[in-house]
Amino acid sequence: MHLQIYRYCPDNGLPPRMQEYRIEPEPGDRKLLDILIRIKAVDDSLSFRRSCREGICGSDAMNINGRNGLACLTPIEGLHEPVVIRPLPGLPVVRDLVVDMTLFFAHYSAIKPYLINTEPPPERERLQTPEQRECLDGLYECILCACCSTFCPSFWWNPDKFLGPAALLQAYRFIVDSRDRATAERLDYLDDVYRLYRCRTIMNCTEVCPKGLSPSHAIEQIRQALLVRSL
Amino acid sequence: MRLFSGQRAWLLQRLTAVLLLVACLAGLAALIFTPGFGYAQWKAFFSDGHGATLTVVCYIAICLHAWVGARDIILDYVPATAPRLALLSLVAVLLLATSVRLALLLAAQFMR
Ligand code: SF4
Ligand code: SF4
Ligand code: FES
Repeated sequence: MHLQIYRYCPDNGLPPRMQEYRIEPEPGDRKLLDILIRIKAVDDSLSFRRSCREGICGSDAMNINGRNGLACLTPIEGLHEPVVIRPLPGLPVVRDLVVDMTLFFAHYSAIKPYLINTEPPPERERLQTPEQRECLDGLYECILCACCSTFCPSFWWNPDKFLGPAALLQAYRFIVDSRDRATAERLDYLDDVYRLYRCRTIMNCTEVCPKGLSPSHAIEQIRQALLVRSL
Repeated sequence: MRLFSGQRAWLLQRLTAVLLLVACLAGLAALIFTPGFGYAQWKAFFSDGHGATLTVVCYIAICLHAWVGARDIILDYVPATAPRLALLSLVAVLLLATSVRLALLLAAQFMR
């Protein structure tokens, strides 16, 4: 298998370069992450993040043949060779395939990703009807891998001000939650030229989400909620 | 002032788009289905009170639509403050100038 991997090390003062690797998959190898781990075994200077190796932790997001995805969910079968692997676009590179996610998580924490409800808590948990619970489907599954936000042109242009599809999907997750009482404050925060309205419905986010979620749909729902509220 | 921020601008852009689409289609239909629709008919249309009002309404819609659109493009592609302000002002001045010109032209129609 022929791969070209983006290499950058801030310590040696050299500009970024693409490094060629040729490696034969072993019988049990299914996903691109298996190959990366094999490369790491022969060249331990290569850096990338990974943890769960099954699409749950969201740490091995990278740009594979021009498309963001999780290495652990990308089958090696049918991959166009050479497989060109780069770090997620639009975020500062720390080293090789590792990017600095500070901004991404700053946007996430800005939308207050937790239930806000000051009513006295009931004896046990706050209950939801099955229908109310269903509203969270397609939202709670997000693993914050950043594939969507770093594939969004609007995020590339205004990464510091536009919240990006991942944070907006999370914002909507708490807006629709029947147990949350801060909908008005959340909508106030989002009614902003930059935070929400930089989105142009380009739909790269939905196209690329490795969990099959649709941030652009969530964004549309937020816009609708804002519209309904203003009428 | 939140008049042109976020949701309002977004809504304004869509409402004006619908209005302009209808106006364009109506204009096209008039051109296609009225045989011999030419200069004289246009002139009559603009000198008529209803025609002129419609033109002004559509023009205001164009200005608002163009303002939101141009502002969006500038906010996306021109991050530095000084050129951004310069470009935004340029767009505003252009839109204002053309509006004044339209008003003068229409007024001249009625003076005659
Ligand atoms: S919405 Fe999808 S692509 Fe975006 S962060 Fe969540 S899981 Fe990743
Ligand atoms: S739909 Fe919006 S958030 Fe998603 S990629 Fe397009 S501009 Fe970005
Ligand atoms: S390693 Fe956890 S998502 Fe890929």
